[in-house]
Amino acid sequence: MRSILRIALGIIAALGGFLDIGDIVFTTQAGALYRYDLLWAVALGTVGIAVYAEMCGRVAAVTGRPVFDVIRMRMGFGLGLVALVASTFVNVLTVAAELGGLAIVLQLLFDAEFSLFVVLAAIGLVIVVALLPFGGIERVFGYCGLLMLVFLATAIHQAPDWGEVAHGFVPSLSDSKLYLYFVVGVFAAALMPYEVHFYSSGAVEEGWDESNLRENRLNAIVGYALGGILACTLVVVSGFLFHPVGVDPTDLGTAALPAQGAFGETGLLLALGGILFCVGGAAIDSSFSASYNLAQFLGWEWGRYRGPKKAPRFTVSWLLFLFLAMLIVLTGINPVEITEYSVVLAVVALPLTYFPILMIAGDRSFMGKHANGRISTTLGWVYFAVIVMLAIFAIPLLLMTNGGGG
Amino acid sequence: MKGEGEILVVHRLLDEQILDSEGKRCGRVDDIELKGSPPRVTALLVGEGLYPRRLPKRLRGMARKLARPELWGSNALRVPWEKVDRIDATLHLCCKAEELGLGEGDDPERWMVRRLPWN
Repeated sequence: MRSILRIALGIIAALGGFLDIGDIVFTTQAGALYRYDLLWAVALGTVGIAVYAEMCGRVAAVTGRPVFDVIRMRMGFGLGLVALVASTFVNVLTVAAELGGLAIVLQLLFDAEFSLFVVLAAIGLVIVVALLPFGGIERVFGYCGLLMLVFLATAIHQAPDWGEVAHGFVPSLSDSKLYLYFVVGVFAAALMPYEVHFYSSGAVEEGWDESNLRENRLNAIVGYALGGILACTLVVVSGFLFHPVGVDPTDLGTAALPAQGAFGETGLLLALGGILFCVGGAAIDSSFSASYNLAQFLGWEWGRYRGPKKAPRFTVSWLLFLFLAMLIVLTGINPVEITEYSVVLAVVALPLTYFPILMIAGDRSFMGKHANGRISTTLGWVYFAVIVMLAIFAIPLLLMTNGGGG
Repeated sequence: MKGEGEILVVHRLLDEQILDSEGKRCGRVDDIELKGSPPRVTALLVGEGLYPRRLPKRLRGMARKLARPELWGSNALRVPWEKVDRIDATLHLCCKAEELGLGEGDDPERWMVRRLPWN
């Protein structure tokens, strides 16, 4: 019974770590612009993150090594440093986007100055991290993020033509640059590198060993599958409501409107609450990832489980990254724009994160009998090829479509 | 693995995470000292002063100017091979980090963390 409970908690944590502002922004816009046509890209991205998260969790459980430890080992100092700089840049931008998202939701709920909520959100996160142990943080945000299920209820309530929805899962490409930009965006939002940085470091924080491998597999497959279903739901409800009337949801609040359409005030509040906790959890995950990476690359002591006294550089760098992200949002750049840039730039950093993981997860001298089997190896390389291709096209598409502005 | 024996220096030693005898993370193997013929590993070199020499040649000069110059005993430390206890998933030392001057950056006295509210 206890192990079932633990696995349930892990799945919820994985679910909470999946949906963030990047997914919400890109799926809602994808639905509004292309109705159900991009569902296949969401599904493809979801399988990709599950494959890599499972690998990272397995490496962390068997060898005690989180992602950036592996990157430094396999890529050496020079190339590893490139990966560190790129990931840190993207991670801080992501934290900024999530903080901005938190502030937007708080503003919708309580109506006051935006910049005040940015500062309050940052202070709130510091307090939450100070008070709760690592597992507690994951669970609070994971559980409350389940409020996002209101979107699933909304989709069922809307009763779209399910045949048409199913047709969206058939991959299709077009020569429209904007469409391709959204393929990249939706896929990349699912595969954000901070998710695996955090997932693998979290496995070390919780003291995983080989006995946790089954749990790891279930978390990765079931947790991310549920996250993927919710992401698909966001496409469906947005496609149903916004596509026919040609609404372009350029702000985060619009994403919650379908729930209001279906269930009134209650639906709106549940949706905003769900977004609040998903984005808040992601703000913690991405800011922790920034300092996990730095500490692991340089060999510092790290981890919430060590406490600030034993890992002072880790703690101080976390506070600095959060502060830096806060300053970025306070410059007044639209958080939705920051989100788009963070997601698309993340694609460029992805190969540098995933290549070393693929190498070490398949290395029998480290992993012994837990090295990648035939399925993981095949899926890993297929996805690596896709990621490299997207990394090449991401920046040109971002520039050509004027950041998705058309 | 201890003392005598062969080791794939770049594959298993360079850039490895170092743990002291109490399991504290205290730096990474930033470079390796080899002596004799055939060469033998005589020491692990650790510290941020060594970072510039890990970069491509053209960037080294600039990195040295940006960072403090290499200073042995301060930002570049020598860990004699005898202090290595074993190498399994990571590299374990047989003494405490402080004895070798490792991990001093994580000394809480150096930081304000003592005053943080959750301490």
